[in-house]
Amino acid sequence: MDGTESLVVAVPKGRILAELLPVMKGAGIEPEPAFHDPAVRQLSFATNIDGLTLIRVRSFDVATFVAFGAAQFGVAGRDVLMEFDYQEIYAPLDLAIGRCRLSVAEPAELATTDDPTRWSHVRVATKYPETTRRHFAARGVHAECINLSGAMELAPRLGLCRRIVDLVSTGGTLRANGLVEVEHIADVTSRLVVNRAALKTRPRQLGEWIQRFRDVVDGQDPG
Amino acid sequence: MNDRAKQALLPAGLGDLLPPEAEHEEAVARLLMDRFTSYGYDRVKPPLVEFEDGLLDGIGASVAGETFRLMDPVSQRMMGVRADITPQVARLAATRLTGAPRPLRISYSGEVLRLKGSQLRPARQFRATGVELIGAAKAAMGDAEVILLAAEAVGVAGISGLTVDITAPALARAVCAGLAVPAAVQSPLLAALDRKDAAAIDEIGGDAAAILGRLLAAAGPAEIGVPALAELDLAEPAGALAQRLVEVVELVGQAAPTLSLTIDPVERRGFEYHTGVSFTLFALGVRAELGSGGRYLTANGEPATGFTLFMDTLMQSVPGPSGRRRVFVPFATPAGPGQALRADGWVTINGLIPDDDPRFEAARLGCSHVWLEGAVQALDEDEVHDG
Repeated sequence: MDGTESLVVAVPKGRILAELLPVMKGAGIEPEPAFHDPAVRQLSFATNIDGLTLIRVRSFDVATFVAFGAAQFGVAGRDVLMEFDYQEIYAPLDLAIGRCRLSVAEPAELATTDDPTRWSHVRVATKYPETTRRHFAARGVHAECINLSGAMELAPRLGLCRRIVDLVSTGGTLRANGLVEVEHIADVTSRLVVNRAALKTRPRQLGEWIQRFRDVVDGQDPG
Repeated sequence: MNDRAKQALLPAGLGDLLPPEAEHEEAVARLLMDRFTSYGYDRVKPPLVEFEDGLLDGIGASVAGETFRLMDPVSQRMMGVRADITPQVARLAATRLTGAPRPLRISYSGEVLRLKGSQLRPARQFRATGVELIGAAKAAMGDAEVILLAAEAVGVAGISGLTVDITAPALARAVCAGLAVPAAVQSPLLAALDRKDAAAIDEIGGDAAAILGRLLAAAGPAEIGVPALAELDLAEPAGALAQRLVEVVELVGQAAPTLSLTIDPVERRGFEYHTGVSFTLFALGVRAELGSGGRYLTANGEPATGFTLFMDTLMQSVPGPSGRRRVFVPFATPAGPGQALRADGWVTINGLIPDDDPRFEAARLGCSHVWLEGAVQALDEDEVHDG
């Protein structure tokens, strides 16, 4: 039975995808042409491999699809895995793409006088409320999170709150909005994630895919 | 929301089992229990509620966070509703059954209640059916016996595509202790192992990274994983744990050559109180585990092993109920024919008032047959659908 059932692979929309496609190609997965067409409304795509389907979903949803076994494996950022901490997901491989960091940022003028070690309560705009609460709770700071799903950088300027927790890659967006990083929470890269029950019941098939991706990653120049 | 809607809504994670699912679950539980009994596992029935300090003693401590509490108005002591039956059986073995000959073989089937469900498995109340083998010295054959029994019972219930994942939950901690990994590193390291996060292990593992990485790589189909595990040179007590894992896999493989076996030397999730070889049952296409079990110590230090099957998950992969034949027996039929039919395995539905059209009434009540003119008559296909 093992090795013959169909597979669904969840990949994130947006930023990571451009870096991911060469890795997938290296592992032998090439999506149908419609995948690259920005005009199509299609969400699920055939590939050159029989029985292997790609679904393109929001990065947070990759983890959900894989955790519930709707997709057997996928690619998710460490930021997403930290936020959800699903028991049913294994993250066996660092793909070393989508490199960025999760940071706390605040307006530059505030940062000049602020001492983060003396905070006892912070209000933060973020799409990572769990990670943010955990990060601050570790040193006894109560974090009140305002959940936003994008354009976090606007929040301090418009007085929604003074601090944000968000992904930073070059820091360009922060600078453009007068913000500076004051604390580093975690380094983020994309991981190959696998559903636990799928790995246990189809170990050869999924093991082989993990190995193919590992070979691609090992073949790359470090960094 | 109106009052009716409020009354119909049950608390999250609690649900009604309706016909035919309720009967089906019972039938499957009976099949499992019969199989356990046939291997000499005698049934016990501990209470639903116990005093908290007894219920949460020993291995029960690991389910303390999952246990509902209530105050006993009589004794004015705190009580807990069981969240797991294994600690109750361990208590029995350590108290009332100390005089019973060892190894002690016990089976059980009953409802448990948990504070919260998981996202994958939201049920807070479910039926736990399982066995415990207590005082099995340290025999690898004891571990193999319960694994084989679990696989056999699940097969009897009609589930195909079963995989048994055999683990040694204490191994990772033993390796860390052997290499004197500092406590501050150990907990994030074990968390990384739980996620199979090889990158994080390399990053924070220090001296332990190489060996933990190889343990991680040994996870997979038993015929690949076992040689990889056997090659590793582990310090005691980790070495003995790994050795036992290999031994048990070999015993199970010999007795059930067609059973799909995987090993995972570093799996720890869900095995809070387990000290030795443990295992999880998965079925192809079922996203949650069917059951799990493994080796632990009872309150007075006796080695024990066993497993619990989670009936709510198990029922998702069991083939649907076959359904007994149902016959409608119209009003005023004498008692004799009904008795004969029931003795013959039929389900009889008796008419309580005279019916103009017994065939229509039979179809309306979900019967496939009707008793008319002194004989069982099958309904036609279109009659069944019209009803």
